[in-house]
Amino acid sequence: MNLAQALFMGLLQGATELFPVSSLGHSVIIPSLLHWSFKQSDPTFVPFLVLLHLGTAGALLVLYRSQWIEISRGFFTAAVRGSITTPAERLAMLLLTGTIPAAILGVFFETRIKSLFASAYVAAGFLVVNGVLLFAFEQLRRRAERRAALDTKPREEQELSFAQAERISFFAAAVIGACQALAFLPGISRSGVTIGGGLLAGLRHQEAARFSFLLATPTILGAGIVEVPQLFSTGVPLGEYLAAAVLSGLAAYASARFLLRYFRSGRLDPYGWYCVAAGVASLALLHFSL
Amino acid sequence: MKSSPFAIGLAVLGVVFLIVAALYALGVLQLFASTSSGPHFKHAILFAVLAVASFVAANFARPKTA
Repeated sequence: MNLAQALFMGLLQGATELFPVSSLGHSVIIPSLLHWSFKQSDPTFVPFLVLLHLGTAGALLVLYRSQWIEISRGFFTAAVRGSITTPAERLAMLLLTGTIPAAILGVFFETRIKSLFASAYVAAGFLVVNGVLLFAFEQLRRRAERRAALDTKPREEQELSFAQAERISFFAAAVIGACQALAFLPGISRSGVTIGGGLLAGLRHQEAARFSFLLATPTILGAGIVEVPQLFSTGVPLGEYLAAAVLSGLAAYASARFLLRYFRSGRLDPYGWYCVAAGVASLALLHFSL
Repeated sequence: MKSSPFAIGLAVLGVVFLIVAALYALGVLQLFASTSSGPHFKHAILFAVLAVASFVAANFARPKTA
């Protein structure tokens, strides 16, 4: 992989990690469509992805730095006291609850599932499935809005009728966390399924996105830190990889800012359309070897 | 659900998770690991996190005196 390819992959990963469009799917499909010669089974590719993910996690830590300080403080206070009294303490415990199923499934199944499905064709197919899932989440949300007689109200007013992240149940947090395992399938978006899960749990779009991003941080950071020793294996062009990671972090930061603003009144539908269109187009391009 | 036996059970579970974490870190335990030799730090960290979560849950489940 040359420097330009590394930077492009950094930008792609950072931009698509937080959008509900599957960064892994894009990382599998786009190099194949561009006929790039590097192999994703190459031993230097995993350290490269690790650094890109650390860039994304770093961007999320910077974006939510004050919240993470409150969450960390809340976690230790509630853990020692043995009870929850503030929203920050509840959010800390919800994030722990959501992280555990993702961590268990990640440690035991991630590598096996990823290696089973790591082909551009499969990723393109799952990208279409991801789009259908996003539509389904929005349909269920619209049904909830109709049930609450909110469908005639302006979008921002509709959104205010739904809950903040701190209000969801611990069971819902665990289910949303477990949904992250679906993202081991290239083409299925981690943020897509967690934002969708948040919507089903009755959160506002913006709060579902915030919960998704907060939930992603320890998972991405944990996976990244565990893989760090691989960065020092021989033959890894650390300078190029670091530049790509910085670009990935910048793209992730901009994406998160955009999405939090977009989800004040926006829905998942446009991303659903994008995934279906991109998946179908990729399948056609791959089939005809264009 | 606050009761002493439940809290004790969770604390015991936490100790078991800690032992499993240590065994994975030392390379003694190879169960469900991708390679059959050497330490498995991913598994060790997971079980350490599960141990912490169990101890926290045990503290939550412990009946509090007013």
